[in-house]
Amino acid sequence: MNIIVCIKQVPDSTQVKVDPKTGTLIRAGVPSILNPYDHFALEKALEIKAKTGAKVTVLSMGPAQATAVLRLALALGADEGVLLSSRAFAGSDTWATAYALAMAVKKIGSFDLVMCGQMAIDGDTAQTGPEMAYHLGIPQITFCEHIDANGQTAVVKKLIEGGHQILEADLPLLVTMTMPADYVAKYPSFMAAHKAQDKLIRTWTETDIGADPHKLGLEGSPTRVDRIFPPPARAKGEMYSGTSVELANKFVEILKKERVIK
Amino acid sequence: MIQISQKCVGCGKCTTVCPFGALSLANRKAVASAACTMCGACVSQCPVGALSLPINGAAKKDLSAYKGIWVFLEIADNASVRHVRSVGYELLSKGRELANQVGEELCAVIIGNNIQPFFAEISQYGADKIYAVESPAYTQYNTAAYAHAMITLIKKYNPSVVLFPSTYVGRDLSPRLAAELFVGLTADCTGLAIKEGNLIQTRPAFGGNILADIKCPDYRPQMATVRPNVFKKVAAAPGKVAQVLRETIPVCTEAARVRVINTHMDPPVSGQKLDEAEVVIAGGRGMKNKAGFDLLENLAQQLGGTVGASRAAIDLGLKKKEDQIGQSGVTIAAKFYVACGISGAVQHVCGIEHSDVIVGINKDANAPIFNVCKYGFVGDALQILPKILEQLKK
Amino acid sequence: MAKNDLTTRNLMLDSLKQYAKNRISFNLLREHDAKNEIPLDILKEMYDHDILGVHLLLIPEEYGGLGGQTTEIYRICEQLARIDLGIATGVFATFLGSDPLNVGGTPEQKAKWFKKIAQENKLVAYGATEADAGSDLVSLRTRAEHVIKDGQVVGYKITGSKMWISNGGVADIYTVLALAPGGPSWFIVEKGTPGFTQDVHEDKHGIRLSNTAGLAFDEVYVPAENLIGLKEGQGFLQAQAVFGYTRLMVAAFGLGGGEEAVETALEYAQQRIQAGGPLAQKQGFMLKLITPHYIRFEAARAYIDWTAKQLEVNNHGLATEGAIAKLYATESGNKAAEDAIQAMGGFGYTKEFAVEKIKRDVKITCIYEGTSEVLEMTIFRGRWQEHLKSRGQYYLNQAAEFDALHAQNPQVGADSVALGFRALARVLEDCRANKLTRHQYVTFMLGDLISEMEVAAVFTRQCANKVITEGSRFDLESLCTMARVNARQSAFKTASEGLRLILGTCPTINTAEVSQAVNLTAIEDKMRGLIEDMDQVSAKLRDIFKK
Repeated sequence: MNIIVCIKQVPDSTQVKVDPKTGTLIRAGVPSILNPYDHFALEKALEIKAKTGAKVTVLSMGPAQATAVLRLALALGADEGVLLSSRAFAGSDTWATAYALAMAVKKIGSFDLVMCGQMAIDGDTAQTGPEMAYHLGIPQITFCEHIDANGQTAVVKKLIEGGHQILEADLPLLVTMTMPADYVAKYPSFMAAHKAQDKLIRTWTETDIGADPHKLGLEGSPTRVDRIFPPPARAKGEMYSGTSVELANKFVEILKKERVIK
Repeated sequence: MIQISQKCVGCGKCTTVCPFGALSLANRKAVASAACTMCGACVSQCPVGALSLPINGAAKKDLSAYKGIWVFLEIADNASVRHVRSVGYELLSKGRELANQVGEELCAVIIGNNIQPFFAEISQYGADKIYAVESPAYTQYNTAAYAHAMITLIKKYNPSVVLFPSTYVGRDLSPRLAAELFVGLTADCTGLAIKEGNLIQTRPAFGGNILADIKCPDYRPQMATVRPNVFKKVAAAPGKVAQVLRETIPVCTEAARVRVINTHMDPPVSGQKLDEAEVVIAGGRGMKNKAGFDLLENLAQQLGGTVGASRAAIDLGLKKKEDQIGQSGVTIAAKFYVACGISGAVQHVCGIEHSDVIVGINKDANAPIFNVCKYGFVGDALQILPKILEQLKK
Repeated sequence: MAKNDLTTRNLMLDSLKQYAKNRISFNLLREHDAKNEIPLDILKEMYDHDILGVHLLLIPEEYGGLGGQTTEIYRICEQLARIDLGIATGVFATFLGSDPLNVGGTPEQKAKWFKKIAQENKLVAYGATEADAGSDLVSLRTRAEHVIKDGQVVGYKITGSKMWISNGGVADIYTVLALAPGGPSWFIVEKGTPGFTQDVHEDKHGIRLSNTAGLAFDEVYVPAENLIGLKEGQGFLQAQAVFGYTRLMVAAFGLGGGEEAVETALEYAQQRIQAGGPLAQKQGFMLKLITPHYIRFEAARAYIDWTAKQLEVNNHGLATEGAIAKLYATESGNKAAEDAIQAMGGFGYTKEFAVEKIKRDVKITCIYEGTSEVLEMTIFRGRWQEHLKSRGQYYLNQAAEFDALHAQNPQVGADSVALGFRALARVLEDCRANKLTRHQYVTFMLGDLISEMEVAAVFTRQCANKVITEGSRFDLESLCTMARVNARQSAFKTASEGLRLILGTCPTINTAEVSQAVNLTAIEDKMRGLIEDMDQVSAKLRDIFKK
């Protein structure tokens, strides 16, 4: 069985802040991490590998520095890495990203399972996975917490509103994974990190994957940013004083305004 | 990298809007650095139109054929009482506004089995038309089946806008459609408006600390998902009857590749953990005693929240160590947080600052808690809380 | 297999950080600190091959380790120190304890013991210090007597005692320095060897998560094959061969501990509202308690990294550089931790925040592996030789290099470095001409000034070469500003302190003449714009360490 896990390098959102004056982001010194959902998807893929001996290939699109997350994946136990990197991919929205990744998956060749994180924490769209599934012409199951797969079928636990479902699907299949609340990501031992240096990472451009240039980068991206602006500042101390009854009334009013009660 | 033409007058406006700090001025002209991601946020901000994205002027499609605002409605099939999810009506309410603005139709799309009973209710939320796809085969949501049905409808009727609830179903279905239709899709919008014929979709972007307006000027339909509780549901208008258009769309064969084995619904929740609770009520030294904390428990029960405490209250033995909020306790990320009789020492503030709305009740008008509060109440929580509880009982 | 690249190093650091985040809570540290107890389960986990296997770093690849280079070992040391200096010391003791083997062991000895340490996750202790032999090992008392059988030396009987041995009470393998008939030599002694006992561990001021205990040897028999290198009398050479290297690791401890303290204080100060705004926005607060320390950290980082890279080429040696790195980084870290408490006021003084513990912990870095005073002496001796050998040209030549650097890049303070080197050369020369080094105090202080200038020089040169030291969170522009500030202050300290020493010890010298010779006025003139530069650094610090 061949599993392809799509991963993304993202800025550690817990450390990204906004300049209060300009409203722009301060990225200086913000470390990059493996998107946590992708980390979970990778661990699930490696669990399947441990049971079935599947081959796990990790795929990422990004600048050369994104090699770092591929290396992390290899250290955790993935077999091979592919980095899609080219100026041609710059400015891609989820449509163009999904198209490029899908073309890379096809280029990797035979695959039974494509696994993605539910979403990237620097975009929060949860769109790239399902869009890839369309481009690959395979079924998708999104927001999965668990997956088991043999060569023919997969059984997954998928979240639904207010509960979950157990689904069975024929391979090939694309799943997007979401992690349970108590998920603690695994990190490699020093020796595993050391040995990952010897595993293969291939770097491909748009020509390697035979992509239609009109479907890449800005041209392949239907969405445009019209403008950006900082969220309305946390109103600094709207202060109330008065009798207990007046304050209680105001408090209840605020409960309604903030939709705590209807 | 963003293109900067000779028209640039060096006003510097763009340098302050770049979310990546990629623009700066050199010799009174804007220059872009390698940090540019070509997000395009600066383009519309340039007063002289000197900025543009490096894109070949692709042949513009004729978009005039695309008309109508559509809302995809989701049926809550596994609920004890089958119903259309409320978020769908919130979207219809917003959609009504937009449709009125541009003078187009508002249409609801509903796919499922035995959907007739919902038509009246859907009408009341302002839909002009209901596209109904009904078959026993559509009883359970299935990506391939629903996607095929939606694609068929969209290609047949060419709507200008399609809105989806940002639920598990909406977020599964909409990107699949966007990929096939080669259109844009904006997730989890917090605002929608129409400007110059384009749907302006507002959402948190670039890590969630900043908002962006997104548009898809050259592609139709324009698609967006919206989370529950973002838009207000407008009171039902009895008597309005939408035109129902029944469409027969056979289920595609691909649907059989994914099969539901079983469905589990979670038991109703009672008592949440502090760090997961949406509403947190906490007390400090100012709550004085157990009776004071009983008031907090009562309020929490009324609001479906959880009670925590400051370190001072823990030290007084008013609450267990696990319930401590702050530097050496639990960090919360509540939607609504109320600090009662808590002065707001930095070790406490460390643990609450990720909350959306912070409310403080304290006797001391100079208490530091008020520096981080959205709403500050100067008064004795022991006096105010009983009054609030009285109000809520009414 | 390839040597570890930057990506690999960063993976290791991330794994270590994540492990600490998940397993080593502040409460755990606090409890063990209060109980004066080593968290042995944590150390065992850190040695576990599937979790971290941190000890494998120091073991050569051929013996089942991963042959860590100096750079990754110092970076891991820095990170360990940021987690807890007691735990760091426990790990470091294994590194240190294995060093005599690494330097002097025969291939068979290395194979046997390194494999054992690697595979069985053995804790190692380094047994050198005695009651009368601390940083200066000459008065070693522990003895190793021959055990002769059939006219052959088949083993040794070790008798004596050691004190303040890190991991002393918990190690499995000890490398012990003892005086054999042929001179000081290292022996490997295993726990449980008859006659070998460990004392209860010390109740220390800091690093209370590190086990520190005395060792007692009562005719402890070890076979001859446990003599490291199978040759007597190599002990001091073997000990000194690694000083450059081991002191670099302790330098990284000082850096890591200091950074952790200052960053804790800075995050606090971003939230602490005083007189209408966050403390961190107050100029006086920042320039007095925060900013200067971080500038010194970046200087120390540049110097440590530079020395590490040199060591990777030269393998061993660089005793003076190792001493400079340790003196500068640990003294900077120690002072910074003290100011971190001050910056946090009453909160800093409580055990609710980490800085109070860090302050107690980081002090050890100024003591173990050579006290600051021993280092000052070492540095002085090393460079005094160079000064004499070059007939006073040693620092003048470097001054010329920095003049040239300044011509290329006027933004990094190379002009101040040049002035500082000239002042230093002049001070050394006056000391020589007037025999002022007969005052021990002068030699200590000269060691300090030498380290001050050499660190400033490396930091400035790295910035001029556009090198951002790995692990730094600043951009090049900020680092250049820092280098500029640092060079000016180091030059000023060198000139003014040098004057104080000369005038304070030499009654015959002419004040105006020597004052002109060290060119204090020119150095003072470089101070223009200093505060503005420091304000810029403060602003950058606020950006980077905002919570």
